[in-house]
Amino acid sequence: MYADLLHALPDVFAWTNFAAVVIGVIAGIVVGAMPGLSATMAISVLVPFTFGLEPLVALGLMAGIYNGAMYGGAIPAVLLRIPGTPAAVATTFDGYPMAQKGEGGFALQVAVVSSSIGGIASAFALMLLAPPLSKVTLLFGPSEVFWVAVFGLASIIFLLGGNPIKGLISACFGVFVSVIGSDPIYGNDRYTFGQLEMLDGIHIVILLVGLYALPPVIDLLETPLKTGVNSSNLGTEPIWKAIPRMKGYWKTWLRGSFIGIWIGILPGAGGSMAAFMSYNEARRASKNPETWGEGEPEGVAAAETANNADTASALIPALTLGIPGTAVAAVMLGGLLVHGLQPGPMLFRDNPDVVFGFMWQFLFGAILLVLLGGSLATNSFARLLNLPRPLLGSVIIVLMLIGVYSIHGRMFDVYLMLGFGAVGWVMDKLKFPLPPVVLGLILGGFAEENLRLALRIGRGDPLVLLQNTTSLVLVALTVAVIIGPTIKQRLAASRKPA
Amino acid sequence: MSDRSHNRLTRPETLTAVGIILIAAGFLVPTTDLRSISALLPAAMLIGLIVLALVLLVMDQRKAARAEAPVQMTQAPKRVAGAFLLILGYALACDFIGFYVSTAVTIPLVAFAFGYRNPLGLLVATGIVVGSIWLIFDFGMSQSFPAGRLWKD
Repeated sequence: MYADLLHALPDVFAWTNFAAVVIGVIAGIVVGAMPGLSATMAISVLVPFTFGLEPLVALGLMAGIYNGAMYGGAIPAVLLRIPGTPAAVATTFDGYPMAQKGEGGFALQVAVVSSSIGGIASAFALMLLAPPLSKVTLLFGPSEVFWVAVFGLASIIFLLGGNPIKGLISACFGVFVSVIGSDPIYGNDRYTFGQLEMLDGIHIVILLVGLYALPPVIDLLETPLKTGVNSSNLGTEPIWKAIPRMKGYWKTWLRGSFIGIWIGILPGAGGSMAAFMSYNEARRASKNPETWGEGEPEGVAAAETANNADTASALIPALTLGIPGTAVAAVMLGGLLVHGLQPGPMLFRDNPDVVFGFMWQFLFGAILLVLLGGSLATNSFARLLNLPRPLLGSVIIVLMLIGVYSIHGRMFDVYLMLGFGAVGWVMDKLKFPLPPVVLGLILGGFAEENLRLALRIGRGDPLVLLQNTTSLVLVALTVAVIIGPTIKQRLAASRKPA
Repeated sequence: MSDRSHNRLTRPETLTAVGIILIAAGFLVPTTDLRSISALLPAAMLIGLIVLALVLLVMDQRKAARAEAPVQMTQAPKRVAGAFLLILGYALACDFIGFYVSTAVTIPLVAFAFGYRNPLGLLVATGIVVGSIWLIFDFGMSQSFPAGRLWKD
């Protein structure tokens, strides 16, 4: 089972594939350091540019960006008390007080080392857990695959938190977009309105760029931020001198890694939840909980370990079942599709070198974090906070247009992307979750195809969908996911004193 | 109509719910022309959208009845509208005038309009971005860009 994993290793060291990880990590740190930009947005903008690249180059860039951005978010969190990414909120609790005491450099070094450890643990979890899970899913037939798709959608809607009605609307929208174009079996047009450009359906990249890249650009232009960070006052020392000061954090790293991996595997939960949980647990276990919140480096370690430990583990359900654990994982699934790699059990059978190479790239991306985000780079990356945001916004707009235009070489796609961008902005402001839209688009066609196949096998009898144990288990899990949060809420409410 | 009832109807979630209902109902019309098996999933999604949007509408109106404040979409509506218009204008300019000219104008225009007013910085940034695009995508990857419909004939 793990022979393929070792077999994929030499390809990862091909210079183009390795360079992609290095560039990805640097780009990820830059993006993460910019408040308002996120790994999700960066990967969305990147995906169309990877069309002509080898899959491992493209995936290496994505793995690097994801790893880098999760650490990059700590830079403004420590220096400005503005989390660069949502997952870095818990980093501000102790990181910013440390910066005020003149220990900003050490806070960033704790963040980079902890991020790296979390990322390495997460990559190992992906390598160990994904292959056996993929073997199990290989046994699935059309009805089970249909229920896996339904379960995936239900998980991301109901476990994401927030308003489930809005989650359901997002998912229905995504699934509806997936059916636009030619019917895969009968070939008749569905909702193309005579536009030849729509016959092949709506390319996932158009949706990804519109939903995930345009709203942050509008936010960048809406609220320009003046930072004025003086990176010379960080008090940074060489990282080899800083690491021995962290030797007492191993329990925090271990705990944070477990929490991050577990949260990453759960569909819908994300890095911010992992960071908060890890921070709380580390504070509870601390001998000096009263110093937390006043510049305790272990607080930074707890938050940063967990938010990086959920990166690769979020891909365990994504790669094996096609169910992403986080929004970034959903966008990465889109990136896989661009290269003809359909997430799910077949991915491991048909493209082992690519999928296992991708896992190695996650591991090396996490290791490279320490080297690239270490003491020398910390000062330079901190200077990024002074980049003028309107200029940054205008450059991203240009990159979005180039990326979307390059898919088919037509402006129609650009207008479509702008339409999705406007929809995405409204959804973002009204707190409609975006991952169910992407997952709906990815799983919609997949679910429809398998539903039809199952019905054909059962000669039109819908009971064929419930005629085996695996399907029934998946239905039960789906129901549990749907009613679970409601029951939990009611139980919590009934326990509250009147 | 009183101000209060007018405000209830212009709440962003209410307007969004009404929009979803109207658009989904509009899409249901061509669904009737499809074969039943082809229409199964889209019809289910459209009907689902209508029902869910109705629920959202009722929930938001209940909030309005309890005098809960509506969601604030933006604190700077003019800046947001300006940003959308500039982006749309850029896409139209690329389509009709051509990519390079539009990009060379848009980068400094957007940055200037939204608060970055350093002429040298604008010039250098525009030069670097347009030059890099040409070097990487046009020269290096032979990527084609919109040439401008106005000049095609």
